[in-house]
Amino acid sequence: MAITIRLATIDDLQGMQNANLSNLPENYTFKYYLYHLLSWPQASFVATTTDPELLEQDETQVTDIKMDTQYVRSGEKIVGYVLGKMDDDPDSTDKETPHGHVTSLSVMRTYRRMGLADKLMRQCLFALCENYKAEYVSLHVRKSNRAALHLYKDTLKFEVLSIENSYYQDGEDAYYMKKNLKLDELLPSTFQKAQEEDDLESDLLEGIVVDGVSAL
Amino acid sequence: MSRLGKIRHPPASSDDNNFKEALKQYENKQYKKSIKILDSVIKRNSNHAQSFTLKGLVLESSDLPEKDEAESYVQKGLKKNPKQPLACHIAGIYYRQVKNYAEASKWYQAALDNNSTNKGIWRDLSTMQSQIRDYKNLPKSRLEFLEEQSGYRCNWTGAALAHYLNGDYAAAEKVLTKIEDVIKGSLGESDMYEHSECHLLKNKIIADSGDYARALKDLDELVEGGEVRDGTALLEFRALYLEKLGRDQEASKIYRQLLKRNPDNVDYYHSLERTLGTLNKPAALRLALYEKLARFYPRSDPPKFIPLTFLKGDAFEKKLREYILGQLKRGVPATFVNVKPLYKRKSNIPVIFKIVNEFYNSEENSDPLIHTWTAYFLAQHYYRIHDYKNAIAIIDEAIHLTPTLVELYIVKARIYKRINQLEKASSIMEEARLMDLQDRFINYKSTKYFLRANNINAAVDTISLFTKNDETSNGVADLHTMQCIWFLTESADAYFRLYKSALQQIETVKKTPSETQAEELFNLNKDVVTYSGLALKRYGAVIETFGVYWDDQLDFHQYCLRKGTPRAYLDMLSWGDHVFHQPIYMKSLVGYSNVTFDILHNEEYFKEVLTARPVKKSKKEKKEEGKKRELLIKYARANVKDEDVLGETLVKKLVDMKNKDKLGELTKLITKSEYDLSIDSQILKFKLNFELKKFVLCLQSLNKIHAVNATHPSIGALYLKLHQELNDSNVQDAIKKILILGLTKNFGTLVKNENRELVIDELVKIYLKHDTFETGLYAIFANTVVACEKFTARLDAIQAALDPYESNYLEYYKL
Repeated sequence: MAITIRLATIDDLQGMQNANLSNLPENYTFKYYLYHLLSWPQASFVATTTDPELLEQDETQVTDIKMDTQYVRSGEKIVGYVLGKMDDDPDSTDKETPHGHVTSLSVMRTYRRMGLADKLMRQCLFALCENYKAEYVSLHVRKSNRAALHLYKDTLKFEVLSIENSYYQDGEDAYYMKKNLKLDELLPSTFQKAQEEDDLESDLLEGIVVDGVSAL
Repeated sequence: MSRLGKIRHPPASSDDNNFKEALKQYENKQYKKSIKILDSVIKRNSNHAQSFTLKGLVLESSDLPEKDEAESYVQKGLKKNPKQPLACHIAGIYYRQVKNYAEASKWYQAALDNNSTNKGIWRDLSTMQSQIRDYKNLPKSRLEFLEEQSGYRCNWTGAALAHYLNGDYAAAEKVLTKIEDVIKGSLGESDMYEHSECHLLKNKIIADSGDYARALKDLDELVEGGEVRDGTALLEFRALYLEKLGRDQEASKIYRQLLKRNPDNVDYYHSLERTLGTLNKPAALRLALYEKLARFYPRSDPPKFIPLTFLKGDAFEKKLREYILGQLKRGVPATFVNVKPLYKRKSNIPVIFKIVNEFYNSEENSDPLIHTWTAYFLAQHYYRIHDYKNAIAIIDEAIHLTPTLVELYIVKARIYKRINQLEKASSIMEEARLMDLQDRFINYKSTKYFLRANNINAAVDTISLFTKNDETSNGVADLHTMQCIWFLTESADAYFRLYKSALQQIETVKKTPSETQAEELFNLNKDVVTYSGLALKRYGAVIETFGVYWDDQLDFHQYCLRKGTPRAYLDMLSWGDHVFHQPIYMKSLVGYSNVTFDILHNEEYFKEVLTARPVKKSKKEKKEEGKKRELLIKYARANVKDEDVLGETLVKKLVDMKNKDKLGELTKLITKSEYDLSIDSQILKFKLNFELKKFVLCLQSLNKIHAVNATHPSIGALYLKLHQELNDSNVQDAIKKILILGLTKNFGTLVKNENRELVIDELVKIYLKHDTFETGLYAIFANTVVACEKFTARLDAIQAALDPYESNYLEYYKL
């Protein structure tokens, strides 16, 4: 497990800022991250490593935090994040409908192919809808970023609304994308396509004792 | 109500009128005009306190040449009349502007104490009190302002938070309940988020008061009322309360609900097990539980991984095989990193190797890309067990197989770094960067490796491909603005190493007389000054950036109340409370202090170098030297206006300062970051107080370190250093008595032992027993306190046991 996905807290922001600085060309000062979390505390998520203790472990558990700016606690390194918000731009073209915006999404190169970006986004979309009643969410993506485009379009079912010319500082165009949100269609676990569902009531351990032991 | 106008005021003097006019000019940013008016008032009436303070504020806001005198005007005004409310208010604004929040708070308070009628000051005062965590006085300010503007919910929230922060939970709850009653039925859709957060704040406050039963009851009502939006918080709170009340079974069901929301949150699984009571149950049962959870959440990692932390034998191997091969076959780059925690149990290591190695050599593994990822795994495995020869062999195989995969080069470079071939490591990383110029991650890696190889210019050129370089020729300034902490610390370390290398080279050159010796020494001495200065500048930049983080809180003391995010606001305060205790901050502070102490201990040397006349040089040589300097400046410039790019003035100032001022700046910084539980912070405090000859305070720090970690490697060296003072005839007997008494508490047998050889044996045995980098550092330190073969022998042994990279790094600290 190395990885857990959870709500971002203020303590994560410096790690997020540094993850952003080492992964993406669009950077922000710390205050902008603070502004996000203090305006929309439920809208941002992180993926971090964990360092669980083992049964009968030989090495002493490290408690010191590594001297790496992406570590937020011992064994917890930010490897991905999504920075979400509600659109509060006074010049917004749509002031009537509450809607969310994804400011930044990043997963470190060496942690790809585990579906982290997808999972981070699903948490973010659900939270924007539940907490802030966002009716849709929008974002920009670099025209050349095929992996991101695939994620938004094919996996998360965003649609391309328009192309914004020279949106990025280096002159690259952006796709402006949008997805309508309905809370009862957004529960993150439903996208796992499980054959079995937890009914939340029955005794989880029932029948396990016997089955479990015999299985070994 | 009588209009204010009816009350007779004494006729305003022309000075007061002029002052008002000056204030207006100030507000319109007409600083010169404002000063002109103020000067005329001051000339006529040298007792017009508010005009003096205003002049100070205006100067501070302006770019006028007398800006340096701003504070003296403020102080003059306050001296003339410390009870003039306008003068006090302006002083408050001035100190806020110069970020002296404690002083600002004092003068805002003074303005109010002297009957200022401006009630808005209460709000500004509460901002200052929040910033300096003066929670004792905060409630009064928030309540006074609430009185003034009770029509806004944010002021009620502010008052409630003030009570809460001051530890009065009952009063906090009362305020929140009262405003709930007042606004009932009058809330619009746009108020509902704030309403939701305030409900949750009150619920949290009830829980924090320790009454979980009532908090749970309140939570039931909140769910009933349907006004709380944050469904995750409702569930997390409920689970917590149920568990606190011993209702674990019910809590476990809540964790199951939470898993449906986020099946990738590891904490929920642990909490589920804790509340189900399975943590101490047989592995078979736990495994069966996780297999069930894995069926509910087939795409989540935790139910697959967690069993690997408690399984043993065949069951472990079976599950591990599924886990690893499942990921390798999907080409997950992080497969190794995902299982890395398992290496902490030695018996796991051969099992992991067997599984992956068998797969690597099996026919099943025919896809070249999967084969490559498997080799990539094995390389990291060898790296983890310090077998660098095999690590290199297999990563080369992988690269041979798939030469286009950037990740492979990253691992290869890391292996070469570990064996201290830093230039080779850096050239491998650069090779990878050239394969994917669009990717900032590999750019970052390459930059970092250039810095590790002390190749600062190449690092700057590389990273500048992704920075804004509008005003300067490269990205160094932008990286400062963007608060790129990793770059700042890595550059600081690089300059530190260059500074130490120059010292090293001086020793070498001194030993081998030659024709060019004098000139070489001259140049190397200059390098010592330049690189120590630059190290100070970069460590200082990190320290400054953290200061900016601290200041960033300021606006949010009011903003969060308006925005309706009081819970997140409380999180910010706790973060802020520890921002200067963070290890990464401490590292820079340690770096900054080390260089400062170095300079102070070698003051005469630095003085000499700073004033040394150059060896006679030809025109050509001079030109070359000028070029070298230009280049240095080009690659070091941290902002456009900087007049001391290389930090030379910084070093000079340190050397020239009066003795008592030398440690002033450092004392401030070390005091700010003082923390009982941080060993680094206590070591710094020890060193500082040792310089100041405050030995009793050194003793305190030593005891604090001992309390956190009784065998910390620093203890031996610090003990020796302090113990030596007992033999110094300059130290007062009374102090010596305190020291002996204090040292006896934790080091009784050592203090009584008269045989120094035996004492050192003990120190080595107790404090320098581990073969770690940190222990090596303190072996070096101990040797500087008492030069002794036992320390150097221990150091040699540590260096032999360490990886070449760390072993070599210790060399820098030997000088």
